[in-house]
Amino acid sequence: MTPEESRKYLDILEIGPRATLSDIKNAYLRLKKLYSGDSIVLDPLAEEFSDKRRTKIIGEIEDAFAKLLAADKNKTTLTFPPDAASGDAPPRAESRAEDLIFSGPTLRRIREKLGIEIIEISQQLKLRGELIKSIEEERFEALPEEIYLKTHLKNIAVCLSLNPAKVAGDYVARYRDRKKPR
Amino acid sequence: MPNTARAKEGQIWAVGGGKGGTGKTFVTSSTGAYLARRGRRVVMVDMDLGGANLHSFFGINRPQKSLTSFFETGARLSDLVVDTDLPNMSLITGDIHSIASDTVRFSQKLKLFRQIMKLDVQHVLIDLGAGSHTNTIDTFLMADKMIIVLTPEVISIENMYHFVKNSLFRKVKLTLKQYGFKEIVQHIWDRRQSYGIKNLKELIDYLKESFSYIGTILDSELASFRIHLVVNMVRTNQDILLGTSIKSVLTKYLGIPIFYSGYVEYNDVVWKSVRERKQFMLNYAATGCAKQVETVVENIINGREVSVPGGYG
Repeated sequence: MTPEESRKYLDILEIGPRATLSDIKNAYLRLKKLYSGDSIVLDPLAEEFSDKRRTKIIGEIEDAFAKLLAADKNKTTLTFPPDAASGDAPPRAESRAEDLIFSGPTLRRIREKLGIEIIEISQQLKLRGELIKSIEEERFEALPEEIYLKTHLKNIAVCLSLNPAKVAGDYVARYRDRKKPR
Repeated sequence: MPNTARAKEGQIWAVGGGKGGTGKTFVTSSTGAYLARRGRRVVMVDMDLGGANLHSFFGINRPQKSLTSFFETGARLSDLVVDTDLPNMSLITGDIHSIASDTVRFSQKLKLFRQIMKLDVQHVLIDLGAGSHTNTIDTFLMADKMIIVLTPEVISIENMYHFVKNSLFRKVKLTLKQYGFKEIVQHIWDRRQSYGIKNLKELIDYLKESFSYIGTILDSELASFRIHLVVNMVRTNQDILLGTSIKSVLTKYLGIPIFYSGYVEYNDVVWKSVRERKQFMLNYAATGCAKQVETVVENIINGREVSVPGGYG
């Protein structure tokens, strides 16, 4: 990604060049929510701010976010300041293989890597922080029925920019395993 | 407005925003008091001609001298300045009775602007009245710093959009007028349906595309069209984040840069202070509101933005 491109995408997400991955994440969620739903900020402009225009803006926001994420994964010119929490952590080979299955600890690791706090997800999803913690710690006895759990998992996955179906599938499989009647 | 020479390093700040009761006068008076405390020489001008009450925020009775003398008997503006109890701080009052802002003639307005620019102070703070009348908007556009105060509720936001759109439209018209495209903007706007233009952004885009000459002028002139946003009477974190959302919408929708300068929380002490006819920044300096006003002013001076707690809106 050229510096001009990264500048352009960061502009669309309304953040500065020093934005961290979690800033990008937050900006994306905030803007997507703003332009997707009803809001007293947008309602007064409803007549002039057509659905078509909105859809276009949402598309640009999603595109910018996807491009910035991809650039980060490929470690192209877009660089982020080192994450204070992880320090200069060396690549962990053993965690790579494990990442393929979205277990509770994996979800927590990804969340921490993105610099997202439980409280942020909790506020965003209007979900008890304790429940998110239980999911991460795989305290299955504290979790709700499968159908509700699945919805929560998918929403959390979106917050972490993960594939919702894969996260829910992986996690629920572990949940069923553990809850299987003897 | 024509860019007449400015008085030295003096800066003009204008506070507007469309709706009444959002706290424009509170923000203006507190801003002025803080700037004066910081050692700047400040004169505040109450341009809320229909409902002037800036003086009561400094605990003074309506002075004999007011803008009325300027409009009716041709008094010089600099002779209408009255001192307040605060060092560095003086005031030109409006008048409740005799004039409404829509009766001011264009020539009077130009004369007023010229004299405002010549006032021998470091800061002129102008408190605008409610509404989006041309005179109000022209005064707003004359300022070096255009400040908008709104409250977190839908009517205030709606009026703010109206005010911003009118200001931008007027700015485009006045800019192009200087370059001899006097009628073209209004002409196209009046026939916007046949041009397939639905809103102000599309009008500006159309002008830029159709006349590359205009495009260059508009780009450079509109680059200085910057609004500083203050959200007053916030009660929740959501209220604070409204400023961020409004900034986003105005940027994406109208394509104009907005600075979210800050917010001031709702607090009964403000109401109490007005009631007691005391200067808020002086008597309630330790409150959160006062600190927030300080942040707003510092951000406006430095062209910075407030940092908003939490990232989600």
